Parts: sequence; C-alpha cells; structure tokens
Amino acid sequence: VHPLLKQLRGLAVYLLVWMLAACALAVAWVRLSPSDWIGVLGFLLPLALLTGMAALSMYAVCRSFPLRPARWMSTLIRRAAAAGVLALLVTGVATLWNATGSLWGRDGLVTLTPTAWLAFIGVQAVLYGLAALMHDALLAQQTLQAARATEASARLLAREMEIKALRAQLDPHFLFNSLNSISSLIHLDPAAARAMTIDLAGFFRQTLRLGECERIRLEEELALVQHYLAVEQRRLGDRLSLCIDVDAACRVACLPPLVLQPLVENAIKHGIRQLDLGGRIELGASHVGSHLVLRVSNPVDAHASRDASGLGQGLRHLRSRLLTQYGGSAFVELERTASLFTVQITLPWQA
Amino acid sequence: MKLRVLIADDEPLARALVREFLAVHTDVELIAEADNGLEAARCIQELAPELVFLDIQMPRLTGLEVLQLTGLRRGVIFTTAYEQHALAAFDLHAVDYLLKPFSQLRFDDALQRARQLMREGAPAVERLLADQVLRRVLIRDGTELRVLPLDEVEYIEAQADYVAFRHAGRDHLKAQRISELEAQLDPRQFVRVHRSFIINLRQLQALERTDSKTWVVRLRSGKRIPVSRSGHERLLGVL
Repeated sequence: VHPLLKQLRGLAVYLLVWMLAACALAVAWVRLSPSDWIGVLGFLLPLALLTGMAALSMYAVCRSFPLRPARWMSTLIRRAAAAGVLALLVTGVATLWNATGSLWGRDGLVTLTPTAWLAFIGVQAVLYGLAALMHDALLAQQTLQAARATEASARLLAREMEIKALRAQLDPHFLFNSLNSISSLIHLDPAAARAMTIDLAGFFRQTLRLGECERIRLEEELALVQHYLAVEQRRLGDRLSLCIDVDAACRVACLPPLVLQPLVENAIKHGIRQLDLGGRIELGASHVGSHLVLRVSNPVDAHASRDASGLGQGLRHLRSRLLTQYGGSAFVELERTASLFTVQITLPWQA
Repeated sequence: MKLRVLIADDEPLARALVREFLAVHTDVELIAEADNGLEAARCIQELAPELVFLDIQMPRLTGLEVLQLTGLRRGVIFTTAYEQHALAAFDLHAVDYLLKPFSQLRFDDALQRARQLMREGAPAVERLLADQVLRRVLIRDGTELRVLPLDEVEYIEAQADYVAFRHAGRDHLKAQRISELEAQLDPRQFVRVHRSFIINLRQLQALERTDSKTWVVRLRSGKRIPVSRSGHERLLGVL
C-alpha cells in the first residue's frame, strides 16, 4: 500500500495540489481559447483527482519491478508500458466524462480536436513517467533507511553479546566462593591468603579491562587465564593440574577478548569439579596455515550422562559471539571421548 | 552428650573454615566430612549426624537432592556462595542458610537457631522440598549407593512395598510407595498411566488400542504398559 494512503492528511494535501493545478490550467485554457468556465472546470477537476490517484498507482509498479543496474532496460520498458497503459485508460475515462456534457444539453463539457486528444494522452504518459521517477527516489530512500536500521541493530546486538560475555565472566559464584576460601586461608596460611587476594584482584581487573577492547593479544588473555587458574588451584587443591602449551608466535596473535577464558572455566566447572580425583587441563595454541587454533581439553566423568545441554551457556554464548564477529570463518568444535572433552576454536589469523 | 556434626562441601578450604568456626564450640563433635553429594548422602544414612552443614552446589548430588534422597528433614544448615534461584525458595519458606563468606558471629547465630529448631521440629525444610522436582534418585546397588538420573529411567513400576526403576534394561528397587514418588516427579515428564506404572514421556513411542478396547503405551524399547481409564485421561492431558 502506498505510504500516502496510510495518512489521510497527506493524501488530502496531495489531491488539493492536483486540484489547484487543474484550476491554474483552467485559467490558462479560458484565456487562450474562449470557452465557458463551468465546462472547463467540470472537465478538469474530476480528471485532476483521477490523474492524481493514477500517479500514485505507479508506486506498485516501481515496487514490483525495482531498479537494478543489471536489468535497467527491461525495468525501463516495463515502466514506460505501464505509464502508456495508464495514460490510455485515463484518457478513455476523460472522453466518457466529457460526453456526459450532453446531459446538460451540450455536445460535451469541452470541445477538443483529435490532435488535442493525442496531446492529452502524451502529457498523461509523461506525468506517469515522472511519477515513476519520484516513486523510485522514495523507494531508494526507504531501502537506505531500512539498511541503516538493520546495521544499527546488528551493532547493538554485537555490543549486547560482549556485555553478556563480560557479565558471565564476572561470575558471582566464583567471586563469593573465592572470598570464602580467602577467609579460610587467613587462619590457615596468611601468605597464601594474600597471594589469592592478589590473583583474584588481577583476574577481575584484567577481565574488566580486556572486556572493553575489541581485539587483544593472546598473551593478555593468557595472563587473565593464569590469574583465574591460580585462584581455582587454591580452591581445588591437588585436584587440578595444568599443562599449557602455546607456540611463541601465537602470543602476539589478535583475537576478541574472553574467548579462551570461558573454555577454561567450563573445563573446571563441568570437568575437574565433577571428578573426585580431579585431573589435568591441557591448554594449547598454535598457528596453522592462516588460522589461530586454540584447544582446551579436560577429563570428564565417564559414567556421567552425556547431556548435550551440559555444554553450558558459556559455550553457546561464545559460539554466537564468534558468529557475529567472524561470520562463517571461525569455528567452534567439540569432541567427547569416554573420558576426555576437547573444545577447539579456529579463528582467522590476525597479528 | 555432644552434638554430632557432618560437614559436606566439595572445597577443602570451605570445610576448613566451618571446622575452624566449630572449634570454639566445645559441645560439638565433628564426626565426618564429605566432599561430594553422594558421599554426604552415604554419611547421613550410615552415621545419622544430628547436624549437617550442607553446601548446595556439590558434584554428583546437590544439597537439596541429598535431603530429598535421604529423607533428612531437620538438623541442616545450608551453605552457599550464590544461588539466585534456590535462595528465593529458601527465603520463601524461611529456611536459614549461611552465605559465603560468613563471619563467626553469623555462624554462631545459625548454629544457635538450628539447635532451637532441633528441639521444636522444623516443617520449613519439608515445605521447601515439597516445591522441588525430583531429578535423580538414590539406589542401593549391592552395598554401594548409586545415583540414577530420572531422565534416563524408562518407567517405574510398583512392586509390593517397593518401586522398581527400569534403567538400561535393569530394575532397581527402592522402598517407597508409588503415589508418594509420583508427587515428587515432574508432571510434564512423568505420567502415572496405571495404578502400578509411571512412564517417562521421553520414552513414549505410541499409544495403542487393544482388541479388548483398552489402551496400552508402547515405549521405545518395545515394552508395552497397560493404561487405565484415568491414566488415559492423564496422558491425554499432558500430551
């Protein structure tokens, strides 16, 4: 539906303009060839309204056959044909309307020569052609606005995801449990309590700082992960052991913040913490072709049910974050054997 | 007579803190520590402690499940770092809990309150558990205690004073009445289709009509279970 038809006020103004134009035309007509006012106005005013509405109908034509550089010829021909058909139709209605003049005892409302009628058709066709151009401009502007809105909402979505990731990182459960451990250590081992406080502060400070960056170096993320692991190691005691194997070249590779950390957190939450004897988390990073490959693996309880939802919200979030940032060029792969769970992330290499 | 206490928490430092706070109370005796939910359940059943410091988030079984499965209703002090959803239910039923990290003062207060309730009886925990849907059951496998995830149970059958949980082709018996169990299950997943049967809807394959105009359900394993008239109505109500 034409946007003008949705708002009565706009439509009224539009039709008023057409009627004013008809009046102006009538004045010119009477001056040039003496005719009577009533006949000329009676002919032109309804016709102006009809022409105005017919021009609006070009909107549907423009929408159905939008301008495309590849097919400009065929769209142009279609528009011209539509304008021509409309012009013929309206002229047909005009001759019929003119003939109703006989009801008032005249030959017609106005007298027009066949040449004048031909000119009438031509003017109509040109008018509808112009209407098509104006509607094209209107549609182009609408498309542009829609594209801008989509882009803005996409950017908003990406930002929202980053904030969610950050909030997930600042897990209150982790914070309060760590504080409880510190409270316990103060009595048992004050030096360890102090060290744990410093690691905890390091973790939160680093998370807040990195969370605001768009890209960080892998070594920055590793520093964050190491603070985190140091805290967890005190909480879990000898249940947690670590093996970190990062290629030297990868340390300066760039990636979005908080990609590795949620993997390590998952490895502890769903792996180590569920095992009485704990186990070893292996963390690796390598430069493979034009990709940065990150791997985190942890032992899992072989008897626990293989619950797909046990992947945790963290992984789901990470997946959608990488999708919005890299599209199809980043991958998250999961592999579970009887006793080992591995997550591998492949990102385009950026230095 | 000293108060016999169990500490259940998967973190050694958290247990050490409770031990430290308990040390000033000379009328209390620490009888055991458990580092997971299953171990806690075992200690409760075998040692019958009078007071349990029970962490809510533990591997294998959560603190609430430990209570559901052992039937322990009094002499419990919950400890937790942060359980948004669980705590709303605790507050609703006025069940006391210690929020980590807690002070000696707050600890003493909770201990005092728990002692009071031990004498007076505490229906609050009962009410709290009534709201909780059962997700796992504890069964005795020979001499060992095992946790059975209800999600994986095919159907439950009443057998005299027992219920039998059908899981991976085996029956696991537990002394309980089927109507009592039914009330604890998630009604969207488990339906009592017959006086003696509760089925897991995830295992449902088809509802069939027999020649004698009665209904049976066929499960994924091929097992057929009779459906009573009221069971049929309940089943249609859920489906």
